[in-house]
Amino acid sequence: MTLSSSSATTPHPPSKGPRSSRQHTAKVDTTGLYSRAIRESFAKLDPRIMIRNPVMFVVWVGTIITALTAVDPNLFGSTPGRDQHFYNFLITVILFFTVVFANFAEAVAEGRGKAQADALRATRSDTTARRLSPNGSVQEVSSTNLRKGDLVQVIAGDLIPADGEVVNGIASVDESAITGESAPVLKEPGTDISSSVTGGTRILSDELTIRVTADPGQGFIDRMIALVEGAERTKTPNEIALTVLLAALTLIFLVVVAILPLIANYRGNPVSIATLISLLVALIPTTIGGLLSAIGIAGMDRVAQFNVIATSGRAVEACGDVNTLILDKTGTITLGNRLAEEFIPVNGHSEKELAQAALAASVFDQTPEGKSIVVLANRLGATVDFDESKAEGIEFTAKTRMSGTNLPNAVQVRKGAVEAVKGFVRSRSGSIPPELEQAYERVSRLGGTPLAVCKEGDIYGIIYLKDIVKPGIHERFDQMRRMGIRTIMLTGDNRITASVIAEEAGVDDFIAEATPEDKMRVIQAEQAQNKIVAMTGDGTNDAPALAQANVGVAMNSGTQAAKEAANMVDLDSDPTKLIDIVTIGKQLLITRGALTTFSIANDISKYFAIIPAIFAAAGLSSLNIMALASPQSAVLSALIFNALIIPALIPLALKGVKFRPLTADQLLRRNVYIYGVGGIIAPFFGIKIIDMIVAAVGLA
Amino acid sequence: MKKLKMVNNIRAQLIDLTPVLQSQGRRRSLSFKLFLALCLNLVIAPTVLAATGGTISRVNAYAIGLLGLVTVGLAIYLMMVMLQPERF
Repeated sequence: MTLSSSSATTPHPPSKGPRSSRQHTAKVDTTGLYSRAIRESFAKLDPRIMIRNPVMFVVWVGTIITALTAVDPNLFGSTPGRDQHFYNFLITVILFFTVVFANFAEAVAEGRGKAQADALRATRSDTTARRLSPNGSVQEVSSTNLRKGDLVQVIAGDLIPADGEVVNGIASVDESAITGESAPVLKEPGTDISSSVTGGTRILSDELTIRVTADPGQGFIDRMIALVEGAERTKTPNEIALTVLLAALTLIFLVVVAILPLIANYRGNPVSIATLISLLVALIPTTIGGLLSAIGIAGMDRVAQFNVIATSGRAVEACGDVNTLILDKTGTITLGNRLAEEFIPVNGHSEKELAQAALAASVFDQTPEGKSIVVLANRLGATVDFDESKAEGIEFTAKTRMSGTNLPNAVQVRKGAVEAVKGFVRSRSGSIPPELEQAYERVSRLGGTPLAVCKEGDIYGIIYLKDIVKPGIHERFDQMRRMGIRTIMLTGDNRITASVIAEEAGVDDFIAEATPEDKMRVIQAEQAQNKIVAMTGDGTNDAPALAQANVGVAMNSGTQAAKEAANMVDLDSDPTKLIDIVTIGKQLLITRGALTTFSIANDISKYFAIIPAIFAAAGLSSLNIMALASPQSAVLSALIFNALIIPALIPLALKGVKFRPLTADQLLRRNVYIYGVGGIIAPFFGIKIIDMIVAAVGLA
Repeated sequence: MKKLKMVNNIRAQLIDLTPVLQSQGRRRSLSFKLFLALCLNLVIAPTVLAATGGTISRVNAYAIGLLGLVTVGLAIYLMMVMLQPERF
């Protein structure tokens, strides 16, 4: 929301119903997702693709070498043990499926993104556009021939041919193709929140003249398709750091395994190359290596399921590190549809006189607040007593913080922020009645917004705009606090109202009577303390702050400038969703951390399974605490467990670890207990059970 | 005198071949590297054979030589991932 909209009299997007009902847009068709993913997982065996994943590339190379030993077990010298052909063949098959399972995890995650992209692509059909020439004539052209700056005319029933800004007309537009929300949205020129239209959406009534703001292929939907398909996916900083760690661990184990034959031969206990490769694969962190990219893609997908389009994985990840949330009051913390509740007259005026003045000041005001003032005034018997066609409406601006009407007799009627109206009255040599302050304080202490009404230099009284804090918002902010996130509320309201709402909602801090520049100032101040800041915005005046914030979420109903400056766009235009996005970001980081812990902890038990078994002759059999049947069955069991754990964890990687509002320390402790200790214990049982099966069917 | 002329001739031919190898190396990077590895194995395999004192066959020696090169190659690759992770 813009700051102006949080102030007295700017419009708000229509209510869209409970978010839970829109969370997962039904338009994404995932039919055939798994069969496509299976095909993709084999296609990804291409070495040019495999080389991007260091851990799985090492397994892939190992598979090729063991395949050679399956053909000729004595390729690297004679090896002990019987039936080496079959044993090496089994190892090759298990390693091959380890790689395929890892590719499958990535392919499933990518497939979901592609399904989302296909659904978006279906909305982007070429259409005929009516382009307006500079001389005013209409020319029918294909939408692909439209260029930035062109003016097009769309009438009821037409598909809007390209992204643009409304320059003329008022019409309702069906945006369900991109938002999943069936309620039409009103579009009109000159407003921050309803003047931009998206190509592919349909105009339902009336007609609009639109100035195209994007060349073909550069529109909003085109960019969304490229992002959800992963075409522009680059590794995030955390992914890069984890990749380095995994490569380092792999290198260490590679060196260890490369040295082992020297020691084994010295001890007179030669080990086959296939067994050494099995040991290497069991020791390197294949689980996280196989699931790492799937976790990242699934994070993007989860954000997309919330009807939010992220411009990069980096943005989603940054959500997980957010320390400070900057939120507008109106529409985010409060319900936003503030309605006139009461007229409080001052300065000797009656309630009816105040209602008459308020009606005159609001007659041109089309915002919900303005309309509610008109309704209340009419209820009190006020009527318009001037010729509206000869009067002039004065719109609200963040600078004047007032709106009103210039009456035909040159009298100026204004309503707006009390301080602004006081200034207006003083400029006309009027006086400020002492009871104004009492009325202002009374409304503020109720958490309402006081609007003063004046006619020239005469103050008539206060309008009480009632604002309601959203149900459950206090608990959400409590959760944020437990996660170590500081919440700051910005509002154009006065200090008393702001403090009442802030206390009721449970935000950590607030800034009253905020100007658009204050957003920027607060962000910079927080960032100076090395904080990661998230904010929402929709107006052109929010664009610099959206660009400055680490996580900037623009509303889809907002201006093109805001959408381009932000790194996320909320298709539902629901500012509260910022809290959900932060939760998803945290969940992404927690999932990655949990699976990394599990993967590394796994290696410890695999070490206990394989090392004693293959070096039994060297006196390490006492370490065979799992009492595995034979060295060959120990190796096969450990490898089978290693392979199977990847598909077993795919659902967790895609869905994410269940989010809990805990601090980083608490989460770390919890992860160490569940995924660390669990990661050590689980393979002991898993490998033992597999070993019993392998021995029972006589595989080794 | 004749021997010296032949050595000079070979050296001149090698110098002529260098730009060709360099351009081929750039154009067909993987196949060129594999070719170089096989050439390098011509040196490594006899060394392995000699070191084992004839307990393994010549084929084993060439296979072990190549395995060693693959291991070193993987180690270099992993080092590159660590140093330039954004490339992967």
